This record gives sequence, structure tokens and C-alpha cells, in this order.
Amino acid sequence: MVDLATILAGFGDAFTLYNLAFVLLGVTLGQMVGAVPGIGPIMAMAIAIPFTFGLDSLPAIAFLVGVNKGGLVGGAVPAVLMNTPGTPDAAATALDGHPLAKQGKPLKATKMALFSSITGDTFSDIVLITVSAPLAILALKMGPIEVAALMIFAFSILAGLIGNSLTKGVIAAAFGVLVASVGQDPEHYTPRLIFGYWDVFDGLPLPAVAIGMLAMSEILHRMPLAHGGVQSAIETNDTGNPDDRRVTWAEYWSCRFTLLRGATIGTILGAMPGIGSTAAAFMSYAMTKASSKEPETFGKGNIQGIAASESANSAVVGSNLIPLLTLGIPGSVGAALIISAFMIHGMQPGPLLFESQGRLVYGLFGAMIMANFVNLWVGQVGLRIWVKVVSAPESIIFASAILLCVVGVSMATSGLFGVAIMLIFAVLGYLMTSFGYSLVIFIIAFFLGPRFEKSIAQALALTNNDLTQVIYSPVALALLILSAVSVVWFLRKNAEAARAETA
Amino acid sequence: MTAADRASGVFFVLFGLAMYFRVNPTYIETVDGGNLAPDTLPNVMALVIAACGALLVVKPSTHMMRSPRLIARAGLYSAVLAAGTFAMSHFGFEIAGPVLALAIMWLIGERRPLWLAGGVFVMPAATWFLVAQVLGRALP
Repeated sequence: MVDLATILAGFGDAFTLYNLAFVLLGVTLGQMVGAVPGIGPIMAMAIAIPFTFGLDSLPAIAFLVGVNKGGLVGGAVPAVLMNTPGTPDAAATALDGHPLAKQGKPLKATKMALFSSITGDTFSDIVLITVSAPLAILALKMGPIEVAALMIFAFSILAGLIGNSLTKGVIAAAFGVLVASVGQDPEHYTPRLIFGYWDVFDGLPLPAVAIGMLAMSEILHRMPLAHGGVQSAIETNDTGNPDDRRVTWAEYWSCRFTLLRGATIGTILGAMPGIGSTAAAFMSYAMTKASSKEPETFGKGNIQGIAASESANSAVVGSNLIPLLTLGIPGSVGAALIISAFMIHGMQPGPLLFESQGRLVYGLFGAMIMANFVNLWVGQVGLRIWVKVVSAPESIIFASAILLCVVGVSMATSGLFGVAIMLIFAVLGYLMTSFGYSLVIFIIAFFLGPRFEKSIAQALALTNNDLTQVIYSPVALALLILSAVSVVWFLRKNAEAARAETA
Repeated sequence: MTAADRASGVFFVLFGLAMYFRVNPTYIETVDGGNLAPDTLPNVMALVIAACGALLVVKPSTHMMRSPRLIARAGLYSAVLAAGTFAMSHFGFEIAGPVLALAIMWLIGERRPLWLAGGVFVMPAATWFLVAQVLGRALP
């Protein structure tokens, strides 16, 4: 168990002016980029990771956490003003935020989104800080057999939950593990599938694959849709009433149950792999509407709708780190990017993290708390500025993003070979999404692949190559049974959905 | 669109079988001893991909594919990016970067001189300043 001195030292490391500056920079960048429709915090984080190489671990991670948290707040700006969510998470926010903006209250809508987002985020951070260390102690009791079973369970859940086809989910997961096997095999260290390119003997570079798949493929998707013009923000008429430009304490307090419900839903769903913040936002919105005495006002500018959506989607960010820090399993693309940044900066996520690098973990928690306060402050000041960012032309945004991706990957992989890999994975990612294969599953499987193989090798060594001995591990057995049950359940659910569609 | 699913299913069947029968045996070394042979996981994954590809051919989903016109345009952008990267390996970021930015902005349809100047001169210069001057790292 982590002692109090380590916890205090970690928080002490975080709360410095130097780290505050990086959190501030990250949050500002995140909010700004989040406000640009289609860019979002994931792409911003992917591009930003290589630029943190020269930094110490804590400021680098604090910066990336800031980008992630700021991006979720920024995503609400175009959702409210243009009915075009900057991030998919903010789609539910647009349902009430945009009508409110059209009534001449855009600042009230964006401020409600900001306050709700920070409430949900802070709630889930507190849960993360409270439960992750005890969970890590439980996770330490898991051996390689249990870890391998846990990963099979995670793959089955991810494949079933993301996308509309379990078959495609399994293909994406298997493809990710197959691509992860490029390099050296973890037991004999012989070259494997490197095709004579010794640059990939240590495996395909994670930054090149992640940036190619997540950032460049999205840019490739959006560029053919762009036409050089500027999608304008809506024209809003000022009502002249100062109350329409702010959220009063009475209004905020009237949403307290909605905020609590949203934060709880977001925290629970965020802790599970595969269920992203978009699902949390819509679930919270639907439950709030169902329990409201005035459901007919939803979709017409009800601030409860904004509170429900934003508190839930932001609560996912903190709890996403629970499986990441305790088990080393990322539950979303954002978490997969954070884990890759952790590894680049010398952190090895998993149950041993709290023992080996407890001080750094609590430094990260400190940075997360700091980022919430900074998010509030930057949001208050920046909301008016991000409205202008929404109006920047797509041409310059995409050209700049491409140059930053090329330079970033070149820095991360020390040359243009990594850039070539990035381009290959950009095209691959584009084709996969065109044909309905999930990039989220692919990236998570790619990330977990080496650990999965190592766990199987260790499990085989422990059981003398007799995998039937798994029956002597109740946890592994339960996880494997759960995997089988979830696959059958998802197959039935997909079949029912297909029948309903054809009926 | 069931046709798109069937096409991708056929691709993955062929890909999985090619990996299992041709690529893995050729490009993965055989090692005696140990608990897990180097080719075990790639072979299992190749078979899973082929089997699921076959399943997709038989039972396609109702996924709507992007329009072929958009895919062709994305192909054009990919070719420009590949050419830009190739040019960067010969002439460096300082020359190839602005040209690549100009090509992309022009293809998107940007014609306003001020924005073009911003993308072609200001952004590459800002990138150079951040990477080469502030971070002290080499540009491609």
C-alpha cells in the first residue's frame, strides 16, 4: 500500500508553478482545439505526445492531461453555437445547447456546459483517487493466467460494444494483435515479420501507428469533405438581459441532482472498457429527460439537458484511468494514448505502478485536480475567444495539423521512416473506417498485443503447457466464462438488431 | 451495404490465409524449445481473421460505406502526402513543408491569399521555431 508520505510527496511535486504552467498550456490548447469541429482532444493529444519528449515525466503528463480535459470543455462550444459538436461526446449537448444559443443565450449555454463538465470531471477524479490504489492491491493478486483471461474478456467486451458488428470487432482486434507481433517475439527475441526492415525490430513505433490511425486518418476523412469555405457560427441576438449571459447559483443548484446522476453514470461507464463518453452523455440525457416533470422542454433549450450531457461525458475522463492504472488495460482510445505517453515517459501502468512509482501517480492525480481548476478559469476567460476559433478555415487547420503530425512523428521515431509508417497506417485507418471496422479496438489490441502474448507464454510456463489447469484459477475461469457469455449475448443482440432492421 | 461487407470479408479471408500459409512461415523464424513458438500468436490471429472474414461474407452487416468519390479524393490526398514526405527526404522540411501545405490548401479549395500565406509561410515558420529553436530538435 502507498504510504502517506508518498502521497503527499506526489501532490507536492504536482503543485508547482512549473507544472501549473504546463497544465495551463495543455488546457488552453485542449479547449482551443476541442472547439474546432472534427479535430478534438484525441487528435490533439496524438499530435502533442512527440512534442513532450524533451520534458520530465510529470510536466509532460500534466500537459497531456490538460489537453484531454480541456478538449472536452472546448467540444461544447461548436455544439452550442453551430449545432456541430467539436467532439462526438458533445453531440448530446447540442440538443439543448444550440436551441438555447438561438434564443440569444449562447454564453449561458456554454457556461452551463463548462460548469457541468468540471463538476462531472472533479467527481470522477475523486472516485479515481479513492478507489485506484485499493483496486491495484487486488490486481496484484492476479497472475499471468488471470491477466491473459482478463485481456480476452476485455477484447470480447470491446469487440461487442464498439461498432455494430461483433465479427468486424473481432477482425479489428485480431488484426491489431497481428500488427503488434511485428518486431521481435517476446520469448526468443527472434525477428518476426520485419521483412528486412531492421528499424521495426523493436516493433512498429507506437506514436507513428497511433498518430496515423487516429489523427491522420481522420484528417484524410475530413479533407475531401472540406470546400475551402468557412462554416460560420450562428448569428446570435443579445437579449440585453445580463442573466442571459451567465449561470446564476440558483440555476446551477437546481441542476444538482442532474449533475450527480450524470457524474455517476459517466464514472461507472468510464471505468468499463469500450463504453465511451458519448454513450454516457446520451444515457444521462435520456435518464434526465425521463425523470423530468417537463420532458417536453428538452430539445428546446433546457439547461438540465446540457448539465446531464456534459457532467456525464466529462466524468468518463477520470474513471477511464481506473482500469488503466490498476490493470494496465486502456478502456478507450484516449486512455490508450495516455498509456503510450506514460510508457514513453517511463511509467509502466499496471498494478505494480502504485508500488514502484507511487509518487508519480499521485503527482498525476495532483495535476488532474489542478487541471480541473485551470479548466474552469480558462473556460471563463476563453469562451469568447474559442467562438472565433470555430470560424477558422478548415484549409489552414488541416494543413497545420498535417505538418505537425509529420514533424511530431519524425521527432518521435528519429527520421522519415516513422512518417512513412504513419502514412501507411493513415490509409489503413481510413479504409478500415470506410468499411466499418473500429479503429478503437484495433489500437487497444495493438497496444495490449505484446502483453497478451507475454501473459500467455508465462501462463504456459506456469502450467507446464497444460492450459486445462486454468480450472484451478477461479478468477481466470470466471473471466473466460464471462467472455463466452458476452460473445453469445452480443451475437444475439446483433441478430435481433438485424432482424428489426429488415422487418 | 452488404456488397462492401462481402468485399472486405473476402479481403480478410485472403489476407488471413496468405499470412498463415505464405507470409508467417517465410518471415518468422522457427525456434526449438520454449513455451510459446514465435509463430503461434500470428498464426492464431491469421486464422481468426480468415474465419471472421468468411463469416462476414456469409452474414454481412448493413454498414453504409463512404462514397467512392470521397474515397478517391482521399486517395489523391494520400498521394500528395506521400509525395510531400518523399520531397522532404530530399529537400528538407524548410522547402518541402511550405510546398506541401500549399498543395493541401489548394486541393481543399482555399484561394484567399491571406489564408494561403498563413498556411504556407506562418505555420511552417512557427513549426520550425517551436521544434528547431524552442525544443532544439532536428526537423525532417
